[in-house]
Amino acid sequence: MKFFKSTFLILPLLLGLVTAVAAQEPTADGVCPIAKTVGSYDAFKSIPVLDNGRVKPLDTFARSTLLQFSGKQTFQKKPAIEWLARVLFDPGKSLQYEIFLINNPQIVESLGIEVAEGRRYSYSELEAKYPELRKLAEAAERIESKDRDIVEAELIRVHNNLRLFSSLTLTFSFVLPHPDFMIQDAELKQRMGLPAGQEVFSYYDVASNANVLHELVRPLESLPQDQWTAGQQEIVRLAASLLQWSMIYQNLPVHIVPPYDPKVESWHSPWDALPIALKLKSGRQELQLLKEMLVHYWDGRDLEFDLAVKNFVESARSRSGSGYEEAMKRNQIELFYNNSNLFLYAKILYFLTFLLFSMSLMIDRPLLRNIGWTVLWIAVIAHTVALGMRIMILQRPPVSNLYETFIFVGLISAMCGMVIEKVMKNWLGIIVASISGYAFLSIAAKFAVEGDTLQMLVAVLNSNFWLATHVTTITVGYAGTCVAGIVGHVYMLQAIFKTNDKKLLRSTYNVLLGTLGFGLTFSFLGTNLGGIWADQSWGRFWGWDPKENGALMIILWTAIIFHAKIGRMISPLGVAVGSILGIIVVMWAWFGVNLLSVGLHSYGFTSGLATNLAIYCLCQMLFLCVTYPLARSRMNKK
Amino acid sequence: MIASLKKNPIIRTLASIRITVICLILLFILTFWGTVSQVTVGLYESQERFFNSWYFLVGDFFPFPGAQLVLWVLFINLCAVSITRFVYRWSHLGILVIHLGLLTYFVGAFVTLHFVEESNITLLEGESSNVSASYHDWELSVWQPTNDPTTKDVWAYDSDDFKSADTLRFNELGFDVIVKAYHRNAQAFVGADQKTDPPQNASGITEIARTDLEIEPEKNFPGALLSIKADGTEQDVILFGKESRPTRVSINGTDYHLQLRRKRYELPIQMTLERFEMEKHPGTEIASSYRSFVEFEHADIERRAEIYMNHPLRFKNYTFYQASYSIDSAQRIRSTLAVVKNFGRLLPYVSSLVTFAGLAIHFLVMAFKRKKR
Repeated sequence: MKFFKSTFLILPLLLGLVTAVAAQEPTADGVCPIAKTVGSYDAFKSIPVLDNGRVKPLDTFARSTLLQFSGKQTFQKKPAIEWLARVLFDPGKSLQYEIFLINNPQIVESLGIEVAEGRRYSYSELEAKYPELRKLAEAAERIESKDRDIVEAELIRVHNNLRLFSSLTLTFSFVLPHPDFMIQDAELKQRMGLPAGQEVFSYYDVASNANVLHELVRPLESLPQDQWTAGQQEIVRLAASLLQWSMIYQNLPVHIVPPYDPKVESWHSPWDALPIALKLKSGRQELQLLKEMLVHYWDGRDLEFDLAVKNFVESARSRSGSGYEEAMKRNQIELFYNNSNLFLYAKILYFLTFLLFSMSLMIDRPLLRNIGWTVLWIAVIAHTVALGMRIMILQRPPVSNLYETFIFVGLISAMCGMVIEKVMKNWLGIIVASISGYAFLSIAAKFAVEGDTLQMLVAVLNSNFWLATHVTTITVGYAGTCVAGIVGHVYMLQAIFKTNDKKLLRSTYNVLLGTLGFGLTFSFLGTNLGGIWADQSWGRFWGWDPKENGALMIILWTAIIFHAKIGRMISPLGVAVGSILGIIVVMWAWFGVNLLSVGLHSYGFTSGLATNLAIYCLCQMLFLCVTYPLARSRMNKK
Repeated sequence: MIASLKKNPIIRTLASIRITVICLILLFILTFWGTVSQVTVGLYESQERFFNSWYFLVGDFFPFPGAQLVLWVLFINLCAVSITRFVYRWSHLGILVIHLGLLTYFVGAFVTLHFVEESNITLLEGESSNVSASYHDWELSVWQPTNDPTTKDVWAYDSDDFKSADTLRFNELGFDVIVKAYHRNAQAFVGADQKTDPPQNASGITEIARTDLEIEPEKNFPGALLSIKADGTEQDVILFGKESRPTRVSINGTDYHLQLRRKRYELPIQMTLERFEMEKHPGTEIASSYRSFVEFEHADIERRAEIYMNHPLRFKNYTFYQASYSIDSAQRIRSTLAVVKNFGRLLPYVSSLVTFAGLAIHFLVMAFKRKKR
């Protein structure tokens, strides 16, 4: 937030500069009209960068930033890293890219821009309307976050994105030549060691020779202003520009420079590193390498670009020690994770498994089930490997935000399905696994739009032991209850279409009871572990917090089903109905209560959830209204 | 004896499984209702209305059972069931253990509801204290000004249930206090109208007025108009919860300090905050951890301890948790520790363990049975 606040104050200035900087043509020799751009980003995308409290590869930073801006991880079908390189090294061109997603046409209309088909707008388009946007966004920010409507939230999002983008374009402005640093006096150029044939220099060129400038400025203090020569005026102007720029360019993003002081944890953006780096040998070397990256990018020299990147990383590594090295190793896993897209493949495979099952309804062959079983295995393995990589990258259990819980519950449900299939061998487990795997991965994909899903934890969650025990068990409980719900659906349909197959119904019913019991056991354990954790950290075992209540409701619901069954108040069909409704109870506990945005657990809120939840409930009600009377009449006839 | 109890028609009725199911459904409804209502009335009010109550009125007319009543019925139901219906055989071990565990939950809930004391203690670095303050209970305190900064004798009445015309007797001090007006959440006015003889007040408040209760009970600040009666003289005093200074009143020639303040609890230890540390995730404003380094003294023995997230300090029935911190305009850091006194603290742990063991046993027995078949 601090970063945004400070940029906010100087933004009008910055905005002017973006355009000014972009108009410049940066090179070593001063002539190069269009950037040629490099073709290989392999080294570039693995540069470690500190972002949102975590050291990650630049590739992830690029993906999550682009996702945040445009809702997609690619731009013009090219990887995000290419887009980021363009923004950093050739900002002028990137201003025309239509990357700012504005979901709500009301905003576009109120800004007086024509509604675009892809709902995405370029920086140049929006910049013209910036004053209005800023006014609206500032007004929206004064409203408390829970009282904001969709338009207001969207305004703030777009405004923040615009600000972030404008700071991104400035990341390398210190090596871009700028008229503020024009030097015509040949003697001055010579004294500062700058090439004689060039007139426009960069901040970095001048700042790295600031000591010369300093010496020249000092005698001028005693000299009246009107007696300064043209050369002396130039010196003063340069010094003033230097000061002004150093004051404006602070708190910028892209923290790729690890701290020079080992006691400091926070990393620097190139601009923020400048004042310290210029005083150190390694720092100067790294700045020089950053400059070379930009120059080689413009000249389209792949090899030299790669080399500059590698040398920069090597220099940072050699002075930063083991922490940096470990981050580099984790980054390799993360790059593989980013590229492999295993969750997507797992999702497709789950879908394929379900298709195989659908085919089996028409032609029932054992071979088909074997194929389905194998495909399911591959899907679960891909799912597991991807989850495992997340654990390795973050070094904690994968259950701290809604995205992660969906992935995790999907996997546990699929595994439950595999156990069921292993025992029953009659497609039931395959149905459960494929539906739950596909459904949960699809929901998770919706949450991935929020940006980098590999997030750091707030203090109260920052405990691997409790995350591993409480959160994991409670989510296993969710999975168990959801699986029971899916089996409930199957039982319902079997009761209608296979009314005569008593053996099949009996076995499905047993699985239903088993999974329901499994869900109850783990929900219960998870809730109590949560109570114990709460007692450890907040001082009470139970406090009627919405999330606690949600978990209690799952337990109560399953307990009601079991007791009503023992008391013969409901038939097996009633148990099936209960378990189908159980999914709704789980959804409520899982993320429905987050919609209330009260209480201690209200992390991970997502808009649009309420509507989807309501639609799901409605569908289930419709399903029950149709199937229950039908199943009942058929069962009674027999 | 058991056999005759088993046949007792009252116990048999009480042991009906219909009662169990109805109670569970009621509890389910209450839990949902109590969750949703937190949005409008806040946690505290909804807890009082739905969970701690015996019953409450829906639309000021229709009574609905509160969770306390439902839980008592469930408890009685469970006791009756354990006499009449349970089958005491090894094959039912899981079910028996589950319900034994549930019985201990009821005990734990009862103890917590009636005996737990929650308060907090806020200290500057270097500051020391042996009292903690309640979150939302208030008291009227009276003490004599002394020069001793470390100890003072205080007489106090819990003020939350004060009503107009209540008489509070301070026999030891030789005077009575009559409540003329008391508002649990009040506004104060300074010099609203210049009465000839305004009530006494340290901050110059001349009038208090009632306002609506806040959703979060911590945000309520009470106000009182009191009359002090001693030897036939009568003097009016206004007190307001937000005042930091007490009002000094002279009664029978002796000076007293009067103040409305959050209820104080005496702790068995003297607690000093030596240092407070906060860490953030690098490059962000998200706190990754914060911790208080404290020194506490009991029976002249000093010990040091660190209190941080998930790492409280336990002492006898007391537990001290790192709750929050604040930084004031002078950049001084205050650490707030939550203090909980609960002698039944370990009961839920026992219940959890027993019930889960029961669930696990039952689940395994059922799975095993099925396999054998």
